[in-house]
Amino acid sequence: MSHRRYSVEESGSPAEFPPEARLRIDRILARYPTKQAALLPVLWVAQETWGWISKEAAEEVARILDLTPAHVDGVLTFYTMYNLHPVGKSLIQVCTSLSCHLAGAESLIEHCRKRLGVGLEETSADGKFTVVEVECIAGCDRAPSIMINDTYYEPVDEKKLDGLLDQLSK
Amino acid sequence: MSDEKVLLARVGKENSRAIRGYVEDGGYKALRTVLTGGWTPEKVTEEVKKAGLRGRGGAGFPTGVKWGFVPKDTKGKPVYLLCNADESEPGTFKDRLLMEEDPHLLIEGMILSAYALRCRTAYIYIRGEFYLGARVLDAALDEARQEGFLGENILGSGYSLDIWVHRGAGAYICGEETGLIESLEGKRGQPRIKPPFPAVSGVFAAPTIVNNVETLACVVPIINRGWEWFLKIGRNEKNSGPKLYCISGAVNRGGVYEAPMGLQLKDLIFGDAYARGMKGGRKVKAVIPGGASAAMLTADEIEDCPLDFDGLAAKKSMLGSAAIIVMNEDTCIVNAAQNLTKFFAHESCGQCTPCREGTPWLNRVVSRIEEGEGRMEDIDLLERISNQMANGMTICVFADAAIAPVLSSIGKFRDEFRYHVTEKRCMVGPGANRSVAGSPVRAAKALVTA
Amino acid sequence: MSAADPKSPAGGADPKPGGPVSPANPSGGAGTPPGAAPPPAKDTFTVLFDGAPIEVPKNINLIEAAKLAGIEIPHFCFHPRLTVVGQCRMCLVEVDGIPKIQAACTTPLKDGLSIQTKTEKVVQSRAANMEFLLINHPLDCPICDQAGECKLQDNSFGYGDQKSEYDEKKRQYPGFDRTLIGPHVIADMTRCIQCTRCIRFCQEIAGTGELTFLDRGGRTLVWTHDGKPLANDWSACAADVCPVGALTAREFRFRRRVWYLEKTPSVCPGCNIGCNVSIESKDSTVYRFLPRLNPEVNDYWLCDYGRFSSETLNQRDIEKAAIREKGEAAAAIVPLAIQRIAAEISTTIDGAGPKGLFFLGSANLSNEENFLLRKLADHLGCSNRDAVVDKSRVRRMKSKTEWLEGDHAAANFAGAQDMGMAPGPGGFGLEDILAGKASPEVVFVADAAFAARADDPAVVAILRRARFLAVAGTRENSLTRAADVVLPASSLAEKEGTFTNVQGRVQRFDRAFLPRPPIRAAWELILLLAEALRYGDRDWKPADLRRLIQAEVHGYDHVTESELAGGGLLKKGLFVKTGAV
Repeated sequence: MSHRRYSVEESGSPAEFPPEARLRIDRILARYPTKQAALLPVLWVAQETWGWISKEAAEEVARILDLTPAHVDGVLTFYTMYNLHPVGKSLIQVCTSLSCHLAGAESLIEHCRKRLGVGLEETSADGKFTVVEVECIAGCDRAPSIMINDTYYEPVDEKKLDGLLDQLSK
Repeated sequence: MSDEKVLLARVGKENSRAIRGYVEDGGYKALRTVLTGGWTPEKVTEEVKKAGLRGRGGAGFPTGVKWGFVPKDTKGKPVYLLCNADESEPGTFKDRLLMEEDPHLLIEGMILSAYALRCRTAYIYIRGEFYLGARVLDAALDEARQEGFLGENILGSGYSLDIWVHRGAGAYICGEETGLIESLEGKRGQPRIKPPFPAVSGVFAAPTIVNNVETLACVVPIINRGWEWFLKIGRNEKNSGPKLYCISGAVNRGGVYEAPMGLQLKDLIFGDAYARGMKGGRKVKAVIPGGASAAMLTADEIEDCPLDFDGLAAKKSMLGSAAIIVMNEDTCIVNAAQNLTKFFAHESCGQCTPCREGTPWLNRVVSRIEEGEGRMEDIDLLERISNQMANGMTICVFADAAIAPVLSSIGKFRDEFRYHVTEKRCMVGPGANRSVAGSPVRAAKALVTA
Repeated sequence: MSAADPKSPAGGADPKPGGPVSPANPSGGAGTPPGAAPPPAKDTFTVLFDGAPIEVPKNINLIEAAKLAGIEIPHFCFHPRLTVVGQCRMCLVEVDGIPKIQAACTTPLKDGLSIQTKTEKVVQSRAANMEFLLINHPLDCPICDQAGECKLQDNSFGYGDQKSEYDEKKRQYPGFDRTLIGPHVIADMTRCIQCTRCIRFCQEIAGTGELTFLDRGGRTLVWTHDGKPLANDWSACAADVCPVGALTAREFRFRRRVWYLEKTPSVCPGCNIGCNVSIESKDSTVYRFLPRLNPEVNDYWLCDYGRFSSETLNQRDIEKAAIREKGEAAAAIVPLAIQRIAAEISTTIDGAGPKGLFFLGSANLSNEENFLLRKLADHLGCSNRDAVVDKSRVRRMKSKTEWLEGDHAAANFAGAQDMGMAPGPGGFGLEDILAGKASPEVVFVADAAFAARADDPAVVAILRRARFLAVAGTRENSLTRAADVVLPASSLAEKEGTFTNVQGRVQRFDRAFLPRPPIRAAWELILLLAEALRYGDRDWKPADLRRLIQAEVHGYDHVTESELAGGGLLKKGLFVKTGAV
């Protein structure tokens, strides 16, 4: 089944930004003539704070920016980089757009499946890894290109991936 | 024509990101020339116009002309300059390199352009994946502020500007300028109806100019060396200036290469200064010359193929983002088409009916053919669906982009599609020796758009 | 509230011999259809549709302009009161001078604009779009309650190709089908065509923004945040604006196929805003109210409270007249019951005189009914008359230009006052009676549900102190159970008349169906009583009463039948508008 971005999950605990995050949000707000314009950056702050964006976080962002929670949901689910569920400590993003595809990117996904026992959008039992497929990440000349969290690794073959997974498993 | 690097001059240098190195290499000289040399904003615009600079993001619209669309009287509204750093077109990775390696070139280009537009606030809309680029730019902007190149009263000229980095979060469509504007406003990146055009009413309902990273970077050498210099580089005056080409796929040395506009495609693929030929000595089968949205070219068509706006238009393709993806004889075109249709089905914003419904349909039918479940009439069907999606059927040109790989791959490699239908496997490549159906990854692929 | 003092309360004037009275005719008379008033010449453009020039107002959409030219441009997402989004791509036309096909809704009107609506390219493009709209639509029309008012059916019929080569699995939305998403709206998103009308309604009109797009591309879904209810005061309008069967109103779902319903123009009885509604009925049963366009009042909208008050029109337990003798109520024929009331009134006049009478009109009754009752009181020389209204929570409605507010629990208190249903010189009113300051011998209550108090035993006990209590009504309550004579009155759906709303706008409602005999409209019952007391003409109809009102009541002199056929009109001299909220 495809991974539709419909549900904004409950985390079960209230989402209150820590003071440093609030400070960042205030600085972000100062850059725009409208509060709404700060939505993407503030959602980034939320994701950096909690690792994903829960229903509670979405509601808190809506409150801070004077938006309806529905508007926040609409934005949150449009952009694929916002995590709608908790993800592993290492989010492995495998590019499968054309250049990476031609370079065998799918075998990396298959390799992750074998090694970590998880399919796409799934998190390993130890909570360390989530594997997702992404569209072109502008690493085409060094295909196949992957990102783990915010960092590019390119090119990656199964051996190099194993090395990375070994390192990140520690 | 010279082999001198202008845009990539500092890429690869040690510490190329730091402002000190940039200034030592002559950086911010153009800014001084303009701001302390008594240049009017109009003079900057005029220079850019005369240089014949055309947008490097994909559409190739003359930059100076675009700037000229900002109304003289903005009725008290500020003018915004947005740098389109959403580089998401499959095969494109030049802006990433520029931003990560030489951020001040972009920043100086932006300040000059903002001055020309009388803009006081500018944003760099950078795709979310470019976390490194965003950090590098943030640091560089801080440096520029400290050195007085940015902020209040720049270089004592009385001109003030600030630039902020704004990160996207994973949506190809935000590279479309009105999708980008919507996104910057904190909305879903659904392209807007035009008119009004952004130059009249863009972000925050104010006049707005959206320019690509490379385009803005070009403004610096235009000011430093004069428009005549820029106009002389390149194949002709309509296709002028230095250009960054991204090449990837079945070549020996993929990468970003700078060359005068109009570089021959064969030179890019085979030249020693560029990709140095095909990996493993394989033959060229097909080339996508301008990103996923550009029509494929066959091996025959790469003969005498200048990589510029008009050269590729003559081949019924486009320069687009100058992203050249090379496929060799082992590449199954149906498989490649499946991959490209998956991309567009995944990235359609969903607001217009033909695109929302058409992109997944194309992907499903191509997937069926690829997986050996196609029917002969599906090939005509793909063409029919494609022709129903574009040319005004939708608000933006995403649908026009989405059908280009379908129509060009069928148009040029129809036999391979037919082979897939009759033989239920690929004509070439790894899929030729086995049944293509039943591969779990491919099955999963087909479901991505389910 | 102070009573509007009718300038010439003297009775007996003959009805004006006006021209032939036409029934409600939306396009007839001097009235123009609402929303399409021809503006002054300088505010127009000349545009060409298929070569034929037409002058159209500058400030309308091309789709509306085409409509004025008698050309239908099919569309889904366009709505005259919502932001133009150009998303459904159904309204494709060719614009001379532009090679690409264009969406009509996003093409700005300008002088000389030349539009082609019938070229082969237009026909093919619309058919193509129709095909895209249907490939993932379930085509479950037999079990869809939108059938008959489905734009997808209509546009497919009119502009589709009636064929498709789509042979893939259709998109589904498990968990988002047949779900109640608010108190009144049921969502079935497999049918949704992503036109965003509902989203825009909630954002732009209701201002509550409950709905949004989720995800993108072919996976796009319309839903609420976290499944929170779509529960604004106008939520069922989201179902109204839905062109397909994705959002439907719970209360009406599967009750009746819409093509069997008869539509009658009426006015919502819910409050004093007086929203224009269409009563949709069949076989003497009201099935629903739909908003009826009136840009000056409710525009395209209707609040949930008013909309679902339609069901009260079907509620009745007073089927016959009744006369109570020695504590025992017994059914009687209406003439006999009327005779009895007339006799009691005559007895009182002969004894205590007209000051022993009390006539209570109602904010639920029409101007005609209140007027006739007041005229009867005048005829009898009685100044003891009144009408009261309950305050309700403030209800809000967006007209084309402003927010209107109503805080009455009934539609026509203003009209009742205008008609003189307030104590006359030297007379007393309901409060005086309840305070013990007055004690009439005969009380006539024209509407048993005149206020919530009518069901309050303490209030009823005071009214019951009268020697004789007569009540007309549809439903039993403490008052009818205490009355000496009960008259069976019709519902709103069973009569015609006019209400005067919070703006001072006089609006007509038509009769949807006849009441079941012996039930009669309150005006007929009052007229029977008047006749028995030698006032009026048994042949009077509401239109005749309106002519009397026109002749006699201050501010109503221009309320003619043809004016009423339009969107209702403001009373003269009353230009007080409610402030924009």
